[in-house]
Amino acid sequence: MPKHRAHPLLGHRLLRGAGAGVLVTALAACGGGSLGGDDGGGGGGGGEEGGTVRVGLVIPQAGVYTPLGEDMQQGWELFLEQNGGELGGYTVETVTADEGEGPDTGVPAVQRLLTEGNVDAMVGIVNSATALGVAEQVTEAQVPLIVANAGAEAVTQDAASDYVWRSSFTNKQVAAAMGEHLAAEGIGPVYVMAPDYAAGQEVVDGFTEAYTAGGGTVAGQALTPFGTTQDFQPFLSAIQPSGAAATFVFYAGGEAVSFVQQYDAFGLKGSVPLYGSGFLTEGSVLDAQGPSAVGVRTTLHYSTEIDNEANAEFVQAYQDAYGELPTTYALQAYDAANVLDRALEEAGGTSGEAIVEGLDAVEEVEDSPRGPWTFTNQTPEQPIYLREVVDEGGTLVNAVVEDLGVYAQP
Amino acid sequence: MTVDSPPARGTPGATAAAGGTPRRRGSRPLAAVLGLVLLAVLAAVPLFVDPFGTNTLSRILVFALFAMSLDLLVGITGLPSLGHAAWFGIGAYTAGLVAEHWTAEGVVTVLLAAVAGAVGAAATGWLAVRSSGVFFLMLTLAIGELVHQLAQSADTVTGGSNGLFGIPSIRVAGTPLTLAGYVYWFVLAVVLLGALGLWLVSASPFGAALRGIRDNEARMRSLGYTPFRYKYAAFVLAGGFAGLAGGLFAGLVRIVNPSDAGFSTSALLLLAVILGGAGTLWGPALGAAVVVLVRDTYGPTLEGHGPLLLGVVFVLAVYLLPQGVAGLAGVRAGIGRRRPAREGSS
Amino acid sequence: MIGWFDANLVSILNGFAIGSLLFILAVGLSIVFGMMDVLNLAHGAFFLVGSYLSVTFLAGASWGGFLTALGVAALVGLLAGGVLSGMTEPLARRPILDQALLTLGISLIVAEVLSIVYGNDVRSVRPPPGLRGSTDVAGDAYPTYRLLLIGIGLALALVVWLVVERTSVGALVRASVADREMVSAMGIDNRKVKVAVLGLGSMLATVAGVLAAPVYGARPGLDETILLLALVVIVIGGLGSIRGALIGALVIGQVESLGRALLPDLASFILFGTLALVLVVRPRGLFAGKVAHS
Repeated sequence: MPKHRAHPLLGHRLLRGAGAGVLVTALAACGGGSLGGDDGGGGGGGGEEGGTVRVGLVIPQAGVYTPLGEDMQQGWELFLEQNGGELGGYTVETVTADEGEGPDTGVPAVQRLLTEGNVDAMVGIVNSATALGVAEQVTEAQVPLIVANAGAEAVTQDAASDYVWRSSFTNKQVAAAMGEHLAAEGIGPVYVMAPDYAAGQEVVDGFTEAYTAGGGTVAGQALTPFGTTQDFQPFLSAIQPSGAAATFVFYAGGEAVSFVQQYDAFGLKGSVPLYGSGFLTEGSVLDAQGPSAVGVRTTLHYSTEIDNEANAEFVQAYQDAYGELPTTYALQAYDAANVLDRALEEAGGTSGEAIVEGLDAVEEVEDSPRGPWTFTNQTPEQPIYLREVVDEGGTLVNAVVEDLGVYAQP
Repeated sequence: MTVDSPPARGTPGATAAAGGTPRRRGSRPLAAVLGLVLLAVLAAVPLFVDPFGTNTLSRILVFALFAMSLDLLVGITGLPSLGHAAWFGIGAYTAGLVAEHWTAEGVVTVLLAAVAGAVGAAATGWLAVRSSGVFFLMLTLAIGELVHQLAQSADTVTGGSNGLFGIPSIRVAGTPLTLAGYVYWFVLAVVLLGALGLWLVSASPFGAALRGIRDNEARMRSLGYTPFRYKYAAFVLAGGFAGLAGGLFAGLVRIVNPSDAGFSTSALLLLAVILGGAGTLWGPALGAAVVVLVRDTYGPTLEGHGPLLLGVVFVLAVYLLPQGVAGLAGVRAGIGRRRPAREGSS
Repeated sequence: MIGWFDANLVSILNGFAIGSLLFILAVGLSIVFGMMDVLNLAHGAFFLVGSYLSVTFLAGASWGGFLTALGVAALVGLLAGGVLSGMTEPLARRPILDQALLTLGISLIVAEVLSIVYGNDVRSVRPPPGLRGSTDVAGDAYPTYRLLLIGIGLALALVVWLVVERTSVGALVRASVADREMVSAMGIDNRKVKVAVLGLGSMLATVAGVLAAPVYGARPGLDETILLLALVVIVIGGLGSIRGALIGALVIGQVESLGRALLPDLASFILFGTLALVLVVRPRGLFAGKVAHS
């Protein structure tokens, strides 16, 4: 996913907060100093008596990930609305913080929630580097964090912590499903492309491992400069000479739009079918891609077109509330609320320890719109779907071609 | 060696500069008292301020040192760098890697970070300081972006775009500093030492020579100076202090990622220096404080309006603070405020 | 050799197309900086305004929309340049870095306003009718619109060069660059020259935004990418000369296209590597302009 700068709205709060008072409020927030042993910040600070639980929602509100943040907020709010503003019997107070584009803004935002926000738990985080950067701090503060997007393997492997959970996916999980599927199809040599950064590398590895294990061969591979590639022609021109029978890619955001359109414009779409990790055609990028996206096949743990009752209800309710189709990002936040609801019901309070025990006790999430899933090593073991972009009366959707079965983090 | 030649264009600031110190003599006792009060207040912060506020101040201090190191180049030597974050990033990665693989002893990590920053600057500076003005700006940008890309690509060492995470807490004499207040004191001590070092450089005959080169390079050359050697030394020193700041940053935030070495960080820092008033050292420190507060502290609570606020602050500052924040205190920031462009590129 | 050329023909052609595009988006920045000493870091934001205008006027749907977008963008650019000229006037005797602070501040504000108006989603714009398909180039499909861009870029280069080098307006501009006091002593208002040049430069930015929209789309963050690219182009070519901007654009176009195709493993390093290399070998760019020398 691309990086770079930011945006949004001129609110009145902004102007009010902008004066010299800014520094004062930051520093004088509460007395007591910062040398105490067990700070009064997060963790045990919640107000059990009042029956409320404070949850920090950390989502991008500025920068290129903002559309994901909006979806996540809507997913989160929809679940709360459907449950009377309560999770596990506690009234929920949501404190929203802007994650920005990376750890530079995301880590301080989380720090602030931990110390001043007095939150009992946190949900959100799009960026993997931010998730990894705060893992230690949430652990020290004993505030459970349910990562609702960031797909880096390390979040629940190298940097694993009792306090860091995930309701989304892992990069390799999604890619491996496609690798196995294409190997089973016997499609022939595959050309692999992704942006040159950690997630891109993980997707390439996840796919290549699964595909070659299934007997497939990789025709070639290109890692494109991350965030600065507007024009894919130099890389696209290597595909045909490589003898590839198909292309597998991972792009998101602006790069996904450029890639899919240029893959079509340079005449490859007709001759070398395009496959990808689901983010290639997920959310608002699909509209921007337009007709070029039709026929592209991807794997992901969700699609609006999954045929089950929970999903039908979810899609309907989401459309009624926001006038648009839900996305995977919305679902991930929705499910984060769902598991937090179950955990709080199990837990004997809102202390971090209790919530973690509650999360541990969560069994199958049978009513998820993505289909039933469970926590395995604190990250979802879940069905992965093969999807194909189809034009349904003028709206592009990811139709479900096949349920590829349940995958855990590889 | 002292430079007692009249300044090139006769600006009052340059007169003070050529005298060996950027301050006016008459304000010295007052400045000393103010300085001591400020020091006492800064030292007492952890006793009164909550952990988040303390952490924020630690961050501001780190960026203040970082901005002062850039001011040595921009304001004092007249070399506007758009790649200064490279040395900050190299320092941060060095400190993080040393802490993860060898020792988290704070003094060791930040000193090695400073060395790494200086070495990085030394390796490239001899090429960079041959150019000037906008070309120096762009050459340092290129160097910075190459370092940034290297951090991105060398993921087995740096963790790539996931960042170098899991950096252990700073230790002092073997004891890990887990509380924000103790970390703050460590940061404060190092930043003060760093600032003192930069001030000494700036006030020394060497610093005066740098100002002379900034104001009129041809004249300095005719006086027998070799501007290249001075500029190169300033570049390396600035890189070293930036590395020091980076080392502190790694210990404070405990994650380093490629963008810490990249264009956005460099650009923001350069703007902080201009905002504060280039050439005064303490002005850029305040400029950095403003930028950190707006971007990292208040930005995230504004529902995404942080960048807008930053833009408004920049535009207003240009008109309301023509000499930067430092201008508010009546100190002439005329130093470093010449008309470069044409001169710079010829 | 012929085989090599054959295999890379599309990349070379694409290098020209991208080079043309880079020239269109950089030449305005070069003119303004080279002639008026104004470092306009809002150039990328103005470009993005043009891109979003082509979203508004549905430039992809019809030629009418495309031409309307071009016209409106040109007007908006002229106005923006005029406003910018006024805003930079008090800064004339201050260091150029103050302009950087101002224009980057403006850039942040403009980008923010755009995201308020257009949201944060990625938008794409189709080429106008008739240019949407691909053309066969030596057996490979190549997008027709990009071929057109090569023509537009060359034509624009010719027009700008003629205006600056061959007309009385251009002579005036060149004169005020060489000796501002002299020109004002002749009774000509320097500020009007500055308004004209900034207006033209900014207009080129917004028009470039419209022309580039079918290739780059419109999205938050694009302004910064474009600004960096434009800076690299004009610095490589040598500041302040139109010829420099053209050469810089063609070099970077090939570097970004053919260079990346030949050295895919170094793709991430190649742009700034080239910039560093050029500046190390030629510290003032390949073709330092006359004005930048004086």
